[in-house]
Amino acid sequence: MEINAFIIFIASIFTSNILLTNFLGMCSFLSVSKEVESSVGLGLAVVFVMTLTTALNYVVYHMVLVPLNIVYLQYIIFIIVIAAFVQLTEMMLERFSPVLYYSLGIFLPLITVNCAILGVSLFMIIRDYSFLQSIAFGAGGGLGWLLAILALAGIRQKVRYKFVPKGLQGAGLSMIITGIMAMAFIGFSGIVVIQ
Amino acid sequence: MKETPQEKRIHENMKAGVMCAKGFLGSDTRHFHEIIETDAAHLQTLGYTREEVADRMQALTNAAFEAFMGSITLEEHLIVEYRSFRGKLTCPFAHPGGFRKGSVTLQNTRNNITLCWTPLNIHMIREHGFFEGHGSEHRLDPDILIKALFN
Amino acid sequence: MITTILTTIAIVGGMAGFLALLLVVAEMFFANYGEVIIDINGKRKLKVKGGSSLLSTLNENKIYLASACGGRGSCGFCKCKVRSGGGPLLPTEKPFLSPDEIKDNVRLSCQVKVKEDIAIIIPEEIFNVRQFAGVVSKIEDHTYDIKELTIQLTQPTEINFKPGQYVQLQSPRYGKIKQKVSRAYSISSSPDHTDYIQLIIRRVPDGICTTWVHDFLKEGDEVSFTGPFGDFFIQDTRADMLFVAGGSGKAPIKAMLEYLDARNSTRRMGYFFGARSRKDLYLDDLFATWEKSMQNFAYYPVLSQPTEQCEWNGRCGYVMPYFDEFIQDVNNTEAYLCGSPGMIAAVVKYLVSKGIPKEKIYFDSFA
Repeated sequence: MEINAFIIFIASIFTSNILLTNFLGMCSFLSVSKEVESSVGLGLAVVFVMTLTTALNYVVYHMVLVPLNIVYLQYIIFIIVIAAFVQLTEMMLERFSPVLYYSLGIFLPLITVNCAILGVSLFMIIRDYSFLQSIAFGAGGGLGWLLAILALAGIRQKVRYKFVPKGLQGAGLSMIITGIMAMAFIGFSGIVVIQ
Repeated sequence: MKETPQEKRIHENMKAGVMCAKGFLGSDTRHFHEIIETDAAHLQTLGYTREEVADRMQALTNAAFEAFMGSITLEEHLIVEYRSFRGKLTCPFAHPGGFRKGSVTLQNTRNNITLCWTPLNIHMIREHGFFEGHGSEHRLDPDILIKALFN
Repeated sequence: MITTILTTIAIVGGMAGFLALLLVVAEMFFANYGEVIIDINGKRKLKVKGGSSLLSTLNENKIYLASACGGRGSCGFCKCKVRSGGGPLLPTEKPFLSPDEIKDNVRLSCQVKVKEDIAIIIPEEIFNVRQFAGVVSKIEDHTYDIKELTIQLTQPTEINFKPGQYVQLQSPRYGKIKQKVSRAYSISSSPDHTDYIQLIIRRVPDGICTTWVHDFLKEGDEVSFTGPFGDFFIQDTRADMLFVAGGSGKAPIKAMLEYLDARNSTRRMGYFFGARSRKDLYLDDLFATWEKSMQNFAYYPVLSQPTEQCEWNGRCGYVMPYFDEFIQDVNNTEAYLCGSPGMIAAVVKYLVSKGIPKEKIYFDSFA
């Protein structure tokens, strides 16, 4: 693929937003977006994990799986790498930012099963990106996820003091908002399209 | 069911032998969320809110507290007695402050129901809608509680 | 076929194992905080190994902050002022601190992790608090729900305290109870006996510690406690002393009276013991003996709900009206109260209305 890495970076934030275009990583997105502060914390953690695991998985795929001809193991191996990496992130957070560690609570280890993380690694393989492109894709994907969750948290904060019909309270309205946001982000497709 | 670390802590606090000898769950195997939901639905059908129940219990407790040396008769058919003990109990839901260890016994002479609660129970009903699990020492079944308080 | 399976297993196992090893190394690196210094009150400096909570680190260095839940973050007793180095306030601490306390840097020492040099301020009395081990040499039943324990000290063998103070007795895991807890009980013996203490313990329904004491503890058992704590003391004046207690509140009063008796105090003393019925009265003979041996001591038991079996023809009702029998000069009377918060509130109100200044009314604020 000959797309410039920087273009991939920009595109994965806006036009190919992993959450709003591919609808991956929805569960913690819907749960944590109740509060802006924890959304920022979780979003940054996701950026960190996504960028580095994409890079790591690239290395593992091309250095271990391909030479040994066991590419069908990519699903298991990628998940193991992601799980170990999230554990590491937890340890670092507990040491350097205990407040964030406590307020994220269970959502930190849940990053492991955030399908967006695995999805980005798998897309990288399917689209056959180079190392630089993979890093750009991982970083952009993470930032796109952060942007989406921040936007939803901000909107939810405003909606909190408005009237919402009982049946739509909570997840119902959030899904509608997410859908509308997704449609809005399609408006960016004039910039660049990579998928 | 998946619990956040905070919920796990609350659940641990409710088990026997952690905050009080018999615990808040009794022989109930349901998760405390379920207990609260079921009792909340029940309370709605009976037509009272948590605040109304808690306020009534608080009023009776306050009256009995003043009469520290024995029982007093209120509204002609309610005999309330307050026995207090040293120390404070904290809320299993990790709320600030301690609640006096006191045992309030209510006897409704009209329908012969005798109930017993502590100031912590009043707080748990008002703030959390938690009436304790079946089989627990201080289980306050909404049915029986309302009959005793309001009839 | 077989080689494929074996390679697969080897790769997956190898990767997982390698990563696990990496995590173990990382944990050793991240969880190791090295040696740090705890500065206490600007006077004492402790060099300790970081990584544990402030409460347990202090305990390991024989400094005991009060704690009822053993450091689990559920009682809020272990508050301590952290001048610097405690890290940010954790959500587990917030429920127990008032806004003023938070502004004043008061923290829950069981939640503060010692990760760097830290400076704290604790009251001087804490330095006198020690961990004691003893053996129960006697268990005496006083009423249907009150027992008095005599604990002979084994390690250390002496205790220094003022009459009116309390200790935190630790209950072990027993029966269905899986946690150790510690609960406060006033010392009921005089500090003149430095090698043993006595505790009066009333059964609390569904209580963890009192159920252990009443149903499981036997003479000869080993127990441990920390202490002494508390600021309920005898004021060193010549004023008349009005004692009011109920139930197990008799404990600190008994300690005080024993102490005063040993010194042949000539102060005027009156002890009003409020109980419900005859079966709640105890140690009457001891107080009757003191009435004879002490120059100016009078004992006034008052029953609020005597039954026929009581055959009581003494004072009935609330204790307050009977104070008039004792109070002579409201400007020279001190009141010492120990009992339920309801009783204390009512008695304080009554005494203030009689003209006794509030500063001269002392009570054991634990009940």
